[in-house]
Amino acid sequence: MAAETLRPLILICDDERPLRELVKAALGGAYRYEEAADTLEAERILEQDRPALVVLDVMLPGKSGLELLEELRGRPETADIPVVIISAWHGEYEVTALGSGANAFLGKPFDPDELADTVERLVAA
Amino acid sequence: MLRSVSARIAAVTLVAAGGVIVIFTLFFVAERNLRSANNATTRAADVSSVGLTLRASVTQLDSAFRAALRERNGTTLADWHRAAAAWHQPGERLAVIVQRPGDVQHVHEIETLINQYVDDYGNPVLGIAQFSPSTAKSADVSEEGRLRIAQITKRIDSITGAAARSAALRSRHADGFANRVTEAGLAALIITPLLLLFGGVWLMRAVARPLGAVVSAASSVAAGDFEVHLDEDDRRDEFGALARAFNRMTSALKTNREELVTRAQRLEESERRKSELISIVSHEVRTPLASILGFARLLLERDLTQDEQRAYLRIIDDEATRLASLVSDFLDIRLLEDRRFPLRAIELDIRPIVVDQAERMLARHPEHTLVTAVGAEPVLVVGDEQRLTQVVINLLSNAEKFSPSDGRIRVGVSRTAAGVRVFVEDEGPGIPPEHADEVFEPFFRGDAAAAGIAGAGIGLALCRRIIEAHGGRIGFENLRPGARFWFELPAEGLVPEDDRLPDAAHV
Repeated sequence: MAAETLRPLILICDDERPLRELVKAALGGAYRYEEAADTLEAERILEQDRPALVVLDVMLPGKSGLELLEELRGRPETADIPVVIISAWHGEYEVTALGSGANAFLGKPFDPDELADTVERLVAA
Repeated sequence: MLRSVSARIAAVTLVAAGGVIVIFTLFFVAERNLRSANNATTRAADVSSVGLTLRASVTQLDSAFRAALRERNGTTLADWHRAAAAWHQPGERLAVIVQRPGDVQHVHEIETLINQYVDDYGNPVLGIAQFSPSTAKSADVSEEGRLRIAQITKRIDSITGAAARSAALRSRHADGFANRVTEAGLAALIITPLLLLFGGVWLMRAVARPLGAVVSAASSVAAGDFEVHLDEDDRRDEFGALARAFNRMTSALKTNREELVTRAQRLEESERRKSELISIVSHEVRTPLASILGFARLLLERDLTQDEQRAYLRIIDDEATRLASLVSDFLDIRLLEDRRFPLRAIELDIRPIVVDQAERMLARHPEHTLVTAVGAEPVLVVGDEQRLTQVVINLLSNAEKFSPSDGRIRVGVSRTAAGVRVFVEDEGPGIPPEHADEVFEPFFRGDAAAAGIAGAGIGLALCRRIIEAHGGRIGFENLRPGARFWFELPAEGLVPEDDRLPDAAHV
C-alpha cells in the first residue's frame, strides 16, 4: 500500500473515454490515475486530492478546460500543479493556454512518447 | 370647403375674373348714364330756346295786331300777315324736339290756340275795325286779345319750364347715380385685390404646406429612412392622393430592403456556419484520429501483453468506425439537398439496433447511466437498416453530448396506433423555445458551441431527411430536466425490396 501512495497521481480530464485510456496507456504503470469526463467532476476530485499533474482537454461540456486552468492558477493551493493541455484545436488555444499558465500544450493527435516525456519531466521538476 | 387644389385655383381665378367684370360693368353703366343725362340736358336747352323763339313770335304777333288796329294801312297789315305766318316754323320745331307725348299734345294745342287767335280774333277784329273802329278798339275786345295771348304764352312757358325742370332732375339723378356707381367701382377695385390676396394665401396653404411635407419626407427617404409616413386621412385632394402613393412607395421600399437585409443575413449566417463547419470537421476528425494514431503507435513501439493489445485494437476499431460514420455524415450533407434519397428497404426488428447502439455509446461514455425499454417481442418495421442505425446513433450521440456526466439516458421502442415509435431521453438543458423550429435545420448548432459541445449540426438534419424518406415523423419534447427526441415509422410505409416485383415500377 505504501508503494501505491508513492506513485504520483495524474488527473486526466477529457470527455472522450478512448482519449483517457490512451493517456493512461501512454504514461504506463508509473502513475496512479483519476479520471474526469468534465470540469465539474475534475473540480470534485481536486477538492479531495492533490494530483502531481493534470492532463486537460479544452472542449469539455459545461465549463471549458481553459476556465478550469485559470481557476487552478488563481487558487494558491493549486497554483503550482503542472497542467498539460491536449486539444484538437491547434494554434487557436495554444497561445491562450500557455498564456493562462499551462506548462505544456499538445495537439491532437499527439505522440504518446512525447506526452510521456513531457509528463515525466514536469512531475520530476 | 373645396377639396382639390384644381378647384381652389379655379375658385381664385373666378373671383379675379368676377371682380374685373364687376368693375368694368359699373364704370360702363355710369358712363352711359352720364351721357344720356347730358343728351337730356342738351335737348331741354333746345326746347327752352325754341320755346323762347315761339314766345317771341307770339309777342311779335300781338305787337303786329296792335299796330295794325291802331293804324290800318298796307304796311301794318303786311306786318300782321308776316307775323301770322312767322310762328309756324318755331311751333313745328318745338313739336319735334319735345319728347313726352303729353308735351307734343300741348304743342299742338298751342298751335291751335295761335291759329284761333289769328283766325277767330285777329283777322275778324281787323275786319270789324274797317267798319266800326270804336267797336274793334273797345275794352272788351282788347281784353279778349290780351287774355288769348296770355293763355298762349303761359302754355309755352309751361312746356319750356317743364323741360328745364326735367333736365335738371335727370342731371341730378345721373350725377347721384354716377357717384354711387363710381364708389361701387372704387370699392370693387379695392376689394378685388384683397380677395385675390386672400385667395393666394389660401392656395399657398393648400399647396405650399403639403408640398413642404412631401419634400421633407422625400429627403428622409433619400437619406434611407423608410419609416416616414405622410398624413393622408384628412385630405381628399391631390395631395391626399400623393400622400397615399408616397406611403405605398415607402412601405414597398421598406419591404424590399427588409427582404434584402434578411437575404444578406441568411447568406452571412450560412457563410458563418460553413466556416464553423470547417473547423468543427477538423476537430471532430482529430478526436478519434488521436486515439487511433496514439494506440497504433503504442502497439508498434511498446511491449504489450496480449490483453492490452486486444483492448487497444478494440478501441482503434471503435474509433475508426466512428470516424467512418462521421465521414459518411459529412458526405451525406449532399443527401440533404438531394430529392432522390435512395433507401434499401427490408423488414427488420428495430430493437437490436437501438440496444446495440445504446450499449456502444455507454461503452464509450461509462459516466452515463443507460435505461432501455424495448420489450420482449420483436418490433418489425420496413426500412433501410443502415440509415435507421445512423438515426439512432445520431440521437444517442446528441443525448450523450448534452447530458451531464452522470446523466441518465433512456431509450425505448414501442408500438403506436400509427406504427412504431423510438425515443431517446436525456437530462441535458433541453431545447430553448426560440430554437424549436431550427434544431432540424442543417448546420444549426444552437448554444452548443458556447457550451463547448462538439458537433457539426448535421446529425438532426440528416435524421429528419432519413425519417421523412421512410414516410415517418421526427420531433422532440422538452422534459424537466432534459429533452425527448423521437421518431415514428408508419406500420405500412415502404415495401420491402424482397417483395417487390422486378418491374413493379412499370406496371
